Amino acid sequence: MLGGGTRDARRTERYLDGLMAAEESGAAGAPMDLDLDPAVLFAARALRADLVRVHPSFRFEEGLAARLAEVAGGAGRTPDGRLGPDLGASIAPFRAPDGATPRDGYRPPAAPRRLSLTARPSRPFVVGGVSVASAISIGAVYVAWRRSHAAQTPMARAARAARSGRGGHASGHGRRAGVLHGILGVMP
Amino acid sequence: MSRPVFRSAEERVRPARLDRDRGLVEAARRDPANFDALYRKYLAQVYSFALYELRDHHAAEDATERVFMRALTGLPRFEERADAFARADESTDVPGDASTFRVWLFRIARNVVANERRRDRRRPVAPLERAAGLASTDDSFETAAAREAGRAAWQAVARLPEDRRRAVILRFVDEMSTAEIAEVLGRSEGAVRVLLHRALRSVAAELRGGLS
Repeated sequence: MLGGGTRDARRTERYLDGLMAAEESGAAGAPMDLDLDPAVLFAARALRADLVRVHPSFRFEEGLAARLAEVAGGAGRTPDGRLGPDLGASIAPFRAPDGATPRDGYRPPAAPRRLSLTARPSRPFVVGGVSVASAISIGAVYVAWRRSHAAQTPMARAARAARSGRGGHASGHGRRAGVLHGILGVMP
Repeated sequence: MSRPVFRSAEERVRPARLDRDRGLVEAARRDPANFDALYRKYLAQVYSFALYELRDHHAAEDATERVFMRALTGLPRFEERADAFARADESTDVPGDASTFRVWLFRIARNVVANERRRDRRRPVAPLERAAGLASTDDSFETAAAREAGRAAWQAVARLPEDRRRAVILRFVDEMSTAEIAEVLGRSEGAVRVLLHRALRSVAAELRGGLS
């Protein structure tokens, strides 16, 4: 008979397995477990999103590769096949293992998960940011369309002529429109 | 019909404990120059583990170098074990009884990092967020918010007790299974499950405290 704590821990493990399997398979949503402690669910998702794998600098990677190659090149093997000091050995550059195939475990190094956190799709602020950007774009298109399709009625022409005759006395609306145009890059 | 995500414990099949790096390990044993493939494959994982543990990228680089040097020179002592749950020999930095190469490598990493932490207790360490999370003036709102969220998560994990913190890093950063973590930490699988469950509850409380 499992205790409550053990049962909850097993449930958490199954959720984490599902969460990572879903990401690996490219599934859209994380698995749901309605019986799982909401606090655990919250923390698991937060850590999955925020604890990224970090790749060291290229300079460090290549430097260490060279130092390992030096050690490997200087390490001859003793008669029983073990590594041993062989100071006379030349330095051998590293190379990919001969005949290594995906079946015996060799894979080219995968691209590391980047430290940049902007690509995570599930963050609410990203969704919000996209929405705002879309709304601004639609607004810009509408303003540009209105400018290029000005009403052609005599009354509209008269109103436009009167407005253009005001010279530099821009109204508050005009100033705000100017700022908006500046932001959006729309020519009035 | 889609395959269910969750299966009962009875249905779950325990994977065979065979070393998926056998080909690479044998190639490296035949010619140490072939160790490069193993190095490239596990570099980011070992470095990340060291960085999250030591919270300083210079210290993480030093530790990473030590881990791979010891792995290279200790490779002849590595033995693939199909059934062992034996604990690492705490008296050496190169345990010889791990079941897979990755577990063996991370046991070396655990020992190296533990030594480094003991040495560093006397001197202050730079916080991880300084190594990886400095705000930039050209940050977008999204980047800045994401950076803030990441920093909060890192701080919550950093406050965990040592064994819980290591279990969380191995699970979330290095994507190890419970069985692998158990072998790296020298604990039972049940103990690791409980460690992770309690760690997540602590992190949730920490993050929610920060939000409120």
